Amino acid sequence: MDAKQQRVLCIEDDRFIGEMYVRALNQAGYLVDWVLSGNDGLAAAKSKDYDYILLDIMLPEKKGNEVIEELRGEKDLIPNAKVLILTNFDEDDKAREALQQKVEAYLIKADITPRKLLEIIKEL
Amino acid sequence: MAINKYPRQQATKQIAVFLILQFIIAAIMMGSWYGLSSYLEPWLLALSLLGVFMLFEAVAAYLVSVVATKPIRDVVNALLYAYSDKPFDKKSTVVELVRRLHAEKEPEEGITTETAYAQSLLDHLPIGIIALNSKREITYANKAAPTRGGGKELNINFTDNDSLTGWLDGVVGNNISSSHWWKRLRQVNIESEDKRQFFDMLALYQQNGDSAIETILVSIDRTDDYSTDEDDLDFTALAAHELRGPITVIKGYLDVLRQELDLTADQKAFFERLDVSADRLTTYINNILNVSRYDRRHMQLHLKDETLARVYKTVGDDLDLRARTHHRMLNVNIPEDLPNIAADRSSLSEVIVNLVDNAIKYSSEGGLIVVSAKPTDNFVEVSVQDNGIGIPGALLPHIFDKFYRSHRSRENTVGTGLGLYITKAVVESHGGTISVRSDEGHGTTFSFTIPTYASIADKLAKGDNSNESVIDKKEKKFIKNHSLYRG
Repeated sequence: MDAKQQRVLCIEDDRFIGEMYVRALNQAGYLVDWVLSGNDGLAAAKSKDYDYILLDIMLPEKKGNEVIEELRGEKDLIPNAKVLILTNFDEDDKAREALQQKVEAYLIKADITPRKLLEIIKEL
Repeated sequence: MAINKYPRQQATKQIAVFLILQFIIAAIMMGSWYGLSSYLEPWLLALSLLGVFMLFEAVAAYLVSVVATKPIRDVVNALLYAYSDKPFDKKSTVVELVRRLHAEKEPEEGITTETAYAQSLLDHLPIGIIALNSKREITYANKAAPTRGGGKELNINFTDNDSLTGWLDGVVGNNISSSHWWKRLRQVNIESEDKRQFFDMLALYQQNGDSAIETILVSIDRTDDYSTDEDDLDFTALAAHELRGPITVIKGYLDVLRQELDLTADQKAFFERLDVSADRLTTYINNILNVSRYDRRHMQLHLKDETLARVYKTVGDDLDLRARTHHRMLNVNIPEDLPNIAADRSSLSEVIVNLVDNAIKYSSEGGLIVVSAKPTDNFVEVSVQDNGIGIPGALLPHIFDKFYRSHRSRENTVGTGLGLYITKAVVESHGGTISVRSDEGHGTTFSFTIPTYASIADKLAKGDNSNESVIDKKEKKFIKNHSLYRG
């Protein structure tokens, strides 16, 4: 781990899954903020400089694709962050491609274990 | 443009004449029953026949008159389906109308009443009619035809492996006439998803020396029928989302626990069995989703310059684990010097998972499974061989059918009957083929081919621009393939 601890924002409404990612990331030395809704996620992403943002799609209040649209729509409000979409929802091709243009990774949660997630974060 | 009323009036008049005639004939025949001389009878028979012919003509004329003003969707659909395998008749009314309309495009005198009527008739039809000339340009399209660019272009999204251009390439010069149906076609451009329409389309090609009308396309709007399926697809995606949630938790916490606990060898093996079972569930869900997408023509492959080794690596650990926990030996022999292939990594990796998983299911403990690959002309051939129970010859033709499971496999092994169906669909969508050899009691070998990148890139360079989107040329470092990181 680098001298400066890297910050991760986890936007995930499923408590079991959120807690699992937070625990694995903490153990690997990351500082993690975890929020459970799209609105809270948007506010958090705007307020702090995160290195990585883990973003679910099916979120309460505001869907993940709306969050990313606000963060990276007309203007990139989070130029230093790497965004990883983590979803179990099978978007149709067009919607997925549109999302992929704006983020660094698009992953299906059911295929990713916390260990694999850490590997991917290191690779980005 | 006013509709010419003449045919309807004529039809009504003809039906009236027919009825009066039949009445007179019936009266004469009644008379003959009561003793009129019998020499009149042949004449009466002839008069009756004439009456029947007149009835046919009258009914036909009446139908034509109705066509212009009322939807006859069901009648036309039924006729088109019934005659879909027959080449079109050069003298048929529709072709003749289209020909006249084309001729009127550059009229020297004003549009005739007859042509105005024909134009109106075609524009009132609830089916689209498009004529293509020998240069494959649109020479005529009625109002219902799915066109764009001011009627110059077809607004239909064909798949790359089953396009109109591809079909015409195969037909022109080789056939005198031919026809082909496409089902569930979508448009290329729409204003919003709500306005999405679905079409079935029939193409009729006739090498007839008339350069203006070489191919007639008939499109039928099937939005009402297919949009229900789209709702089903949404349901499938939502159901998959719900199923994947618990799998994420099971796999994730197993991973967390494994790292935090000091496990004995036995416990480690049990953990691996849980891992493999969760992975199997994931495979089933992915198969269900892919079948649903494929059947509705939603599955799009993004072919990229790949190596088979890279594709295999994305699922290699998972397959090793599956083989190990089921006490099978998995021997992988992928030469390093294979040519690059044009592949969608995620989909192709699922093909390999399905075939190896099948080999595990249908072989015995301690059995050897060999994955090998070799170059053949413009393809790379991949084989998955097992020494398992094999497949009886009588069942071989059916194993790629959807939901097909042999009587024996239903009793002894789990499965959805979707794996081989989607496997074949994915391989063929890549432009490859899949085959199977089996010796009952001794084992089975599945082989599939995938085109080399070089062969596909050349083919695409010759094609039109729309095909280029098949090849994803983006160099951006981007992780989108979830199968890359199967845990």
